[in-house]
Amino acid sequence: MFPVSLALCALLLLGSRAEAPAQDEVRIDLSTDVQKRIGLVLEAFASAGGSSARTTAVQADPILANDLAGSGLFTVSKAWENTGSLPADAQAVVGGKITVSGQTLVLTGEIKDFPARRLIARTDYRGSMGDLRRLVHRFADDVALHLTGEAGVSQTRIAYVVKGARSSELHVVDVDGFGARQLTAFKSPLVSPAWSESGRDLYFASLRGAAWNIYAVPSAGGTARQASRGGTLNIAPAVGPDGAVAYVSNKDGNSEIYVANADGSGGRRLTVNRSIDTSPAWSPSGQRIAFTSDRGGSAQVYVMDRDGGNQRRLISGFSYSDSPQWSPKGDKICFVVRTGGKFDVYVANADGTNARSLQTEGSSENPHWSPDGRLIVFSSNRTGTKNLFITDLRGTIVRRIDVPGAAANPAWSPRPAGATLSGVNATTTNPGGSKR
Amino acid sequence: MKLFVRCAAFCLPLVLVAVLAGCSKKKEVAEPAPPPPPTTAEPAPAPAPPPTNTEPAEQPSKTVQDQLADVFYDYDSAELGSSAQSTLDADGKVLNDNASVSVTIEGHCDERGTVEYNLALGDRRAAAAKDYLVRFGIASSRISTVSYGEERPFASGADESAYAQNRRAHFVAR
Repeated sequence: MFPVSLALCALLLLGSRAEAPAQDEVRIDLSTDVQKRIGLVLEAFASAGGSSARTTAVQADPILANDLAGSGLFTVSKAWENTGSLPADAQAVVGGKITVSGQTLVLTGEIKDFPARRLIARTDYRGSMGDLRRLVHRFADDVALHLTGEAGVSQTRIAYVVKGARSSELHVVDVDGFGARQLTAFKSPLVSPAWSESGRDLYFASLRGAAWNIYAVPSAGGTARQASRGGTLNIAPAVGPDGAVAYVSNKDGNSEIYVANADGSGGRRLTVNRSIDTSPAWSPSGQRIAFTSDRGGSAQVYVMDRDGGNQRRLISGFSYSDSPQWSPKGDKICFVVRTGGKFDVYVANADGTNARSLQTEGSSENPHWSPDGRLIVFSSNRTGTKNLFITDLRGTIVRRIDVPGAAANPAWSPRPAGATLSGVNATTTNPGGSKR
Repeated sequence: MKLFVRCAAFCLPLVLVAVLAGCSKKKEVAEPAPPPPPTTAEPAPAPAPPPTNTEPAEQPSKTVQDQLADVFYDYDSAELGSSAQSTLDADGKVLNDNASVSVTIEGHCDERGTVEYNLALGDRRAAAAKDYLVRFGIASSRISTVSYGEERPFASGADESAYAQNRRAHFVAR
């Protein structure tokens, strides 16, 4: 799998740059969270199959360029815009061909080293004519796989809440900002979207009627079902790796954290005190839960075992910390810190050490990791209205997702379950012989 | 404090409200507050309701809804200060006099917490007001609570006067 192709491509890249003075630029270091960006030359797709293929190829170019730049992994130089010399620091060339035959669309994606242009991988992605965006996203994720050792997140989606004056609704959008669609019409306050582990369902909380309850709706659209009972405050659902749902309820008197089965049965209380306990977040192993509590006098991030044992403060040194989210690899926590009446996005090691600010412009809330752990989506009012932004771990904004209305509460989907679900078939040719 | 007492003794209730409002400016407020009156050296325990909610509750022409005054809270707090307790005493009397009326107490917050924390805080504020009224003698079954967190602010704007308006338990007669 990828270690083979990674080693190969790293070798190729190193070999191709043997005379270059800055050798470290082409060495791909997976040990640090902040990788150096890899320079890519993007070539326009060729086409075969007449005007339909030509049109499709022209459509594919900006989609791929947007995906690769938005991954935060690459600096992208578009060969069709740069008529002069190619950038000296480029390390790979990405391009290929669009073939149209009837309703069948084949995207042949090619990754070559630079400047030698030796083939690293060539992959055919097959679909129907309506699948272009998905095929390009799949190729973009494979470019990241071949050049960094881990696939990108171009095939993922962001759930978010569009806030109105009286009510809010749940929406979902592709990570590149296309295909936004509304999933609820509750005409009520609505908060806290959370993806199920498979990405099939979206949980959220809404004040529909006289009480806040947790609901689940298919992320592809459909009917929402209620997943909580009792009390007037049931919010902040978080789905664990085994499908268990941690959530907040006041059914026993004040806000406490519970864990229930996916259908709402078998609820078990984890916190017992008169303070506010809220915003549970699972560790990727499902063994621990980070959460927010004001038991010490102000809102702070705590952690406990999944059975409620061993509750202790996790983040220190701030007057107010909240909204913890565990990175997908379990090595980091992102959270918000309140400073001077606004919120900043922070990242710390999973043990709470080495906290550093990532985003301090405007007020930024609800940070949420990408499934590869290399990006964080959050909402910010920095442009005057709430909108969604994606930052890398350097603190550089790699994307702003422009959707109509005031967008808040983002939650990043897991990766789709693979080729069979997306209807995309791919065959890969790799000079190293590794097959995926 | 002497000035405060004299004022309270001799002036109209509206003046009391104005003085209380001046007293109640919180120390943690970052933005400059209006010049405080001389009595503000001693901070009051809770912010005062706006003048619109301070009419005497005894006016017979008013509906029960009109007579129920909202309760206001300090930043990030659900504690009932002396002003909030006075308001709740009056609200309790209204409910005593109108035994057929039930109420929903809505807990609201300013925008300076996170969404989920504020929903829990609004829940706590509404519960604190309910607990007080139950101790006052109102049947628990007549009072329901719901939190709105920061989802339905009463005042827009990002200054202390707007925030103070939004930190409240709002009564809805049923």
